[in-house]
Amino acid sequence: MIIQIAWKNVWRNKTRSLIVILSVAVGVFAGVFAMAAMNSSVVQRIDAAVNEELSHIQVNNREFRSSSDIRDLIQGFNEVDSLMRSLPGVNSTTGRIIIRGIASTSAKSAGVEINGIDVEKEKEMFSLHKKVIPGTGSYFESETKFNSVLIGEKLAKELNIIRYILTPEAVAHLDSLKIPSVVLSKLDPVYGERFTSDKKFNRELEKLLTPNEIKKYSIQIKEAAWSYREGAKLILTFLDKDNNQTGAGFRVCGIFRTNNDMFEGMSVFVPAGELRALTGMEEGTWHRLIARLDNNDLTDELTEPARKAIPSYEVLNWKEIQPDLAMIADFMGQIYGIFMAIILAALAFGIVNTMLMAVLERTKELGMLTAIGMNRKKIFSMIMFESIFLSIVGGFAGMGIAGAVIALTAKNGINLMKYSEGMEAFGYSAHLFPTIDAQFFITTTILIVLTGILSSVYPARKALKLNPIEAIRTE
Amino acid sequence: MKVIEIKDLHKIYSSSDIEVHAVNGVNLDFMEAEFAAIVGPSGSGKTTLLNLLGGLDMPTSGQILIDGTDLSKLKSSALIDFRMRNIGFVFQSYNLIPVLTAKENVEFIMSLQKWIRKDREERSYDLLKSIGLADRYNSRPAKLSGGQQQRVAVARALASRPKFVLADEPTANLDSKAASTLLEIMEKLNHEEKITFIFSTHDPRVMKMAHRVITLEDGKVVSDEKPE
Repeated sequence: MIIQIAWKNVWRNKTRSLIVILSVAVGVFAGVFAMAAMNSSVVQRIDAAVNEELSHIQVNNREFRSSSDIRDLIQGFNEVDSLMRSLPGVNSTTGRIIIRGIASTSAKSAGVEINGIDVEKEKEMFSLHKKVIPGTGSYFESETKFNSVLIGEKLAKELNIIRYILTPEAVAHLDSLKIPSVVLSKLDPVYGERFTSDKKFNRELEKLLTPNEIKKYSIQIKEAAWSYREGAKLILTFLDKDNNQTGAGFRVCGIFRTNNDMFEGMSVFVPAGELRALTGMEEGTWHRLIARLDNNDLTDELTEPARKAIPSYEVLNWKEIQPDLAMIADFMGQIYGIFMAIILAALAFGIVNTMLMAVLERTKELGMLTAIGMNRKKIFSMIMFESIFLSIVGGFAGMGIAGAVIALTAKNGINLMKYSEGMEAFGYSAHLFPTIDAQFFITTTILIVLTGILSSVYPARKALKLNPIEAIRTE
Repeated sequence: MKVIEIKDLHKIYSSSDIEVHAVNGVNLDFMEAEFAAIVGPSGSGKTTLLNLLGGLDMPTSGQILIDGTDLSKLKSSALIDFRMRNIGFVFQSYNLIPVLTAKENVEFIMSLQKWIRKDREERSYDLLKSIGLADRYNSRPAKLSGGQQQRVAVARALASRPKFVLADEPTANLDSKAASTLLEIMEKLNHEEKITFIFSTHDPRVMKMAHRVITLEDGKVVSDEKPE
């Protein structure tokens, strides 16, 4: 009966209740959705770091990370490898040769980390092979007598391997994207001209187009004009096992694109065998052992056993290798806390205000209820249920909307192309796929109900303080 | 059988420099199934006496015994419970629960007392029939006239078969026709249910129908008559 009356009381002043419910809903929606979007960027970043760059656990010679010396190898790699594989939860392992060097083309040079890899194993353990930009080649698939190297888009741009040319095909493509012909005609002077760097092409576009047009169309124009010099050659220079400088020419077999500019600019990959031949490293020697686990949640759990199993080497998990990533993941938890606290505080104030109004308006009725024998506990519960109903209806509506919007946007993502340069410089994708786990929904629901209960206390106490005689007399 | 015993009851309201003796040494007994009116001019202490009888206010001195229970000895929560089980209230301005229908209003106290649904429904139907509102059982108070609302209030007060019903000026807001219908119903229910009714009034028509008329002046009982 009390619950029934409380529910009916909520709808006595429909407009007022709906406004509160709506504000609760909007608050909860905004909070949940913003969290989902932020969460997605972190989840995507971590996924990318694990799947493209680091994997879960890495083993190095204790000196290697600081010395980068080609001679700081994992001695007895096979034994270390089998120890690692014997740990339950370890899915697969591979070795890498890692050498610092310089990549240069006729135009430019850049410092790089040369990764000598077991192509087949890496293909199973990492998703980098899926990141090769179509049209730029493949993940070491083409038969060639030359040494081949896989490089990132960022490095390719730096070394002028990628250039910009507005070919007739590029213009036709832009036309099909419904870029206004006014804009296309403005680009007439540069048709067919070759720009060897991003900067130069940007400078030219700035001369020809208005800032607004650049904002709207430059990404599409650059994408269309992007051209890759097929079979480009670059020279990798590094030290061999005797610390003598050596080097060789490599053909770029493919260019990969990730969301991490640093990784794209620094890492190049070559088949281990080619690197061994050039450095004189023996067969079966590696600098790093990389292990992939059954799932990411095992990372913390398995790090210590791995350290115990391989005590003479440095064992690190991805959180330790990139502490910034781990920190951001933790930080997200805190941001969530702060975010929810603000939203729930706003929700609480809204409910306290509404319920206080409702109590003061109903002084006489509450007095009558006490007079005819409704005890304090029941009056308190009635007001409390009213508050809870307001918060639950609003909260669920908000979460429903948030859930629906997250489901919708998770399919196609939210494109923040405008900020891509800034975000990718830090390794974050500009294309967000909002995600949130069930745990988050459950916690939020509980918190909303708790807030409803807490914010009912003050109005309900106010109701209890009413003197039935005074209350009944109030006209 | 005695339902209420009032012994040397005093109620003094005091503010900083004034003391008002609202009830001043009242001694009264009420028997089962009485139909009594408390009358007197404004400020004579009628409402105060009813509030004291209903346990809504505490006397300065004296005793009110209801079936032997001293009201002033009950703690606040026990008192609320006691009211719920023993006393029915009818207020001047109806005071029904606006979100409940007539039937639900009548059932309200029974449900506080945890009557089973079937009994509640039977009882509320019987009462609504007695007050002539069986066809309006599903109407909310806002859809009923003042007189009809007050009849529902009477049915609510009686529903859980309290020891007595207190009605503070129940006809004050009603026109004469509605007032006399209400009184007829009250008298009929008093007769049928054998429940004591005590009501305060200014209304001479109401006084005429009362079986006992207690007149108060300055907080004292000046006459206590049983007109034939």
